[in-house]
Amino acid sequence: MMDLYGYTGNILDVNLTNNKISVITENPDDLRKFIGGSGMNCKLGAERLIPRTDPLSPENLVIVGTGPLVGTITPGASRSVGFSRFPATGAIANSCGSMGFGFNLKQAGFDHIIISGRSEKPVYLLVWDDHIELCDARHLWGQDIVDTTNSLWKQYESSGVIAMGQAGENLVYGALALIDKTTTFGRGGLGAVMGSKNLKAIVSKGTKGISVADPKEFNKLYKKQIERIRNYVHRDSWIKLGMLRGTPISMGLAAAGHTDKAQQASQRTYLKKIKKRRIACPSCPMADKDILEIREGEFSGTINYTSSIINPFLMLSVEGIDTYNQAVKIFDVINRYGLDSITIANLFQFISIMYEKGIITEDDIGFQWNRDYKTILRLVESITKREGFGNLLADGWKKLAEINETIANEMITVKDLGQFFDPRTTRLGTMEFEQVVNVKGAHVASGGSPTYMGAGGSMEDFRIHFKRMGVPDSATSRLFSPPKKEMGVNVGRLTRYSEDWYTVLTNLGLCARAQMNRFWGIETTTAFYNAVTGFDISIEEMRKAAERTWNLLKLMNVKEGFSRKDDQFPKEWFKPIKLGAHMAELKDFTGTTNITPEIANLLIDDYYDERGWNKNNGSPTAEKIKELGLEKFT
Amino acid sequence: MSISDLVEIVIHEDKCTGCRICQLMCSSIYQKRFAPTEAFIQITDVYGLIPKITFLEECKKCGQCAKYCLYGALELKEVEI
Repeated sequence: MMDLYGYTGNILDVNLTNNKISVITENPDDLRKFIGGSGMNCKLGAERLIPRTDPLSPENLVIVGTGPLVGTITPGASRSVGFSRFPATGAIANSCGSMGFGFNLKQAGFDHIIISGRSEKPVYLLVWDDHIELCDARHLWGQDIVDTTNSLWKQYESSGVIAMGQAGENLVYGALALIDKTTTFGRGGLGAVMGSKNLKAIVSKGTKGISVADPKEFNKLYKKQIERIRNYVHRDSWIKLGMLRGTPISMGLAAAGHTDKAQQASQRTYLKKIKKRRIACPSCPMADKDILEIREGEFSGTINYTSSIINPFLMLSVEGIDTYNQAVKIFDVINRYGLDSITIANLFQFISIMYEKGIITEDDIGFQWNRDYKTILRLVESITKREGFGNLLADGWKKLAEINETIANEMITVKDLGQFFDPRTTRLGTMEFEQVVNVKGAHVASGGSPTYMGAGGSMEDFRIHFKRMGVPDSATSRLFSPPKKEMGVNVGRLTRYSEDWYTVLTNLGLCARAQMNRFWGIETTTAFYNAVTGFDISIEEMRKAAERTWNLLKLMNVKEGFSRKDDQFPKEWFKPIKLGAHMAELKDFTGTTNITPEIANLLIDDYYDERGWNKNNGSPTAEKIKELGLEKFT
Repeated sequence: MSISDLVEIVIHEDKCTGCRICQLMCSSIYQKRFAPTEAFIQITDVYGLIPKITFLEECKKCGQCAKYCLYGALELKEVEI
């Protein structure tokens, strides 16, 4: 066996049914083709997960992986990737999170963990160097994520912890897990899959260290990269404001007519009233995670950890949440239970509208419905505990749609996952379009590009960005050919390259957030990869590995029955929406063109065409499968 | 390789973000690999409300941890004589 660098070369295989634990040695040839957290997760999943497996059955898998740069000092290399078949949607997907789990897993000597089966009693998996144990978790069952993580940290100091809460225990379809009680992991039900396995948490801790293949070259690359970041003119303000620097929630609230709430979500409120401590993922020079504390007024004393201050502030967009105190508190409650704040916000808004129209009644709900804090708290608790109406909602949007046709038609979901951005308010860039075509459902992270939130620049700015993210020159002219000339850039075609670029970063374990992403390009990521692993792959191979990952994921979902019929713009997007004193319509990211259903379909056609997928059914073509060497997975 | 005896490393734990760059840098220099548990600087309660930073006796006082601390938690400061 050749010496490996960056990679540990080990996969931990854990069967919860029979307590069997073994270690699989990775094949170096596979590591070149299926790179890192996302790539190797997909390969392992495609080989082991039987199509149409019930997501909550023992046969479903939870695979957690990290990238080859994780565990080194490479700036922002700390991501973990969780693979499973997700109960909220039925889709097979990778879901990402950061903080310290992947870093600690690498230090313990593992690149991936495959978890199958179901334990008879509640357990947590401890991975501490060569000490691998399924530990009794009966004392943790019933505890929320924060208490569980604190308890495990007390026992395993500074370890990485993936934990789920009561929502996961009760198999709420949308339950997620948190890493180090801070970053969400597995929107769409990874927490429920863990619950179905009686797996309360996974703990990683290690002392083995990671060596790099070419320390001299690595040091040269690192010093250049870290100096670029250190000298970035806006770095100080990013550190000071965190994600609020890039996404001023107060402006969005003001534009939506909530001028009274805009102040509650202002930068001043954040700095003066609730910011407690800035925390960073391992190796990150651009820290943006938050410890918050409500210091005065209602709920004072509440401490909340979050991957982004914008998450609790977004709760202020809910009519019924009026103050930052309520926003932080309800977000903390949602987090502790292991629910998903975006889904809860969407659900509360939607049920309120349906209730006010008389389509959902108090008889359906079983308690008095008002647009206030008390009602949203009751909603959260009833879903978590699967009580009454909450029991129905715990089975996801699909179950709610069964009540009647109006509800089914008016909910804004893709593949049964609620929208993250409404493009009528943010315009249709790649992030918004990605919600339609992502295999997982309405998901945005992998759609990043300069079209984000209606932004944009000159065509020359776009060309520079395309080159950085690895778009081949041969594709550029197609990206500048949208269905209507004034749209400037074809977001359908560009989304393919946004996804591939995101996958390069995810495969390696690098942060994809804009403030870190901007320092990376296809050339620098490949150079770091080669210096760390000693593999000497080309830029083209790096790009191809990302494309292979995405196509393999798509192939798995084709086997689950997903096709073009599932990649559809929600009907509601084509209706105007009230935004403050105005009505907003679905427009392209430049704001010049109304997106009609016909243009939407053309964009989906173009996305498939750019991917090399069949326009009729959305499946990778035989030529594409052969080009990527994925024949054995069809 | 140690810094001048006229310079000392001052710790500001309240500014530490838990990024562990200091430990990664130290271990890469002295252990030739990224092994934070073997660094001569140790951070405990990394994501607590205030982490604890300790220098071990083996510390060579080279100051590289402070040079690469991007958050001001480790500060190279001239000693007042």
